[in-house]
Amino acid sequence: MNCEEATKLMDGYLDGELDPITSQTIEQHLRDCPNCDQAYKTHGSLIRVIGNAAPYYKAPAELRERIQSSLREEMVAQPMRNVGRDVQPLFPRRQPEPRTTLFGTPWSWLGLAAAIVFAAIIAWNLLPGFQRADAEQFLATQLIASHVRSLMANHLTDVASSDQHTVKPWLDVKLDFAPAVFDLTNDGFPLIGGRLDYIENRPVAALVYQRRKHFINLFIWPAQSVMTAANKTISRQGYQLVHWIDGDFNYWAVSDVSESDLQLFKQAFEKQLPRR
Amino acid sequence: MAAPLKVDYAFNAEDLESSAKIVKFSILKKHQEPDAAQEHELASFEETMLPHMDAAHNLAKWLLRNEEDAQDVVQEAYLRAFKSFSGFHGSNGRAWLLTIVRNTSYTLLKKNRAVDLTTTFDEEIHTAGHEPVSPATILEHSENAELIKEAMDELPVEFREILTLRHQEGLSYKEIADIMQIPPGTVMSRLARARGKLKEYLAARISKDK
Repeated sequence: MNCEEATKLMDGYLDGELDPITSQTIEQHLRDCPNCDQAYKTHGSLIRVIGNAAPYYKAPAELRERIQSSLREEMVAQPMRNVGRDVQPLFPRRQPEPRTTLFGTPWSWLGLAAAIVFAAIIAWNLLPGFQRADAEQFLATQLIASHVRSLMANHLTDVASSDQHTVKPWLDVKLDFAPAVFDLTNDGFPLIGGRLDYIENRPVAALVYQRRKHFINLFIWPAQSVMTAANKTISRQGYQLVHWIDGDFNYWAVSDVSESDLQLFKQAFEKQLPRR
Repeated sequence: MAAPLKVDYAFNAEDLESSAKIVKFSILKKHQEPDAAQEHELASFEETMLPHMDAAHNLAKWLLRNEEDAQDVVQEAYLRAFKSFSGFHGSNGRAWLLTIVRNTSYTLLKKNRAVDLTTTFDEEIHTAGHEPVSPATILEHSENAELIKEAMDELPVEFREILTLRHQEGLSYKEIADIMQIPPGTVMSRLARARGKLKEYLAARISKDK
């Protein structure tokens, strides 16, 4: 890294917003280059001071009251506006009221009752789907957390090797299943290593791949017999998750690379699996 | 309240001759009282969003540089947020509210003061010719809140915005990108330019005061 590049990335470095590898490269450069190091220190202290010294304009108490009462008015006014159109015919023009009653019950109430029944039927049918979606959201959260943790704590890999014949036996010994391990360097996804992780109350294999400067965690564990639809793509908090099931295994790839890159990764991985 | 008065008037004007209309009246009357579901929604909205009022006000004030406008924008933003609250499923209430505050502020800026959106540039201060000021000198003066405020107020609106979001709200690049509706990659370079400009303006003020 030269001084120009370091200067360009300095703000991201100061804000702790660079990926681990780039951060390390900058750190290295700052150790080697007193000029940049000096510039970094001055810039850093100035930036800290800005945050503390610039006035923070708190909301005055009267604004708080004003907003709370306007919200209350809004709440009361909202339904009024909906019936507003019905109010118009109240004024002179005499025309038969379209909304007459059926056996003394106004139509609108029958409509409401029908809507409630209808909604109940729909809710009843959708509920299992929602619960499944909830479980999946929870799993996605766990996977993202695992991915983020692996990048944070210098614990990306337990066994660092680009050799699938080193990673696979290591994992096989630690786990009660034997996941497939492939180096995908030729497809642009070099294998970095493997790690044990813990997802959904069980130990799982995590294979770590690299895509340019980003990392992909591929979590693998045995699929249960009753599995819901495979092949899923979820995008959350800037992370992409791709899920598929192949043979006996569940695969979840998690990364901050683009979705298309992650799909490429999935294809590259699947290509290596023995056809069945 | 305006609405019930209107109904009373209609009621009298109709001479009570149509029972159907009386039914309408009673339905209308029903809507006056917010029901439990509405109360519940308001309570949950307030619980999620009211804690972020300082952040909303601070951002609006930096963007608009005017207390009255800032308060109007915050109020308007809260109403907008309340109306679309049912569509909010995220967990980041502050970022969501700040996005609305930001958009509302820009709408006002565009409407009232088109000139504000173009880069403001004070020739008198920024023409070269003042003595160079060392970073150390800037640092010495940088705890002077008034000086920082003046220098920041001179920056173009998108620089004031990004400095506020980062330095005062401590938001991540991702959150800033979402709020400002710019690609995440742009956040770092814009922040760097904003800080550079601020440094420059501070230097200019310090050398002028000398």
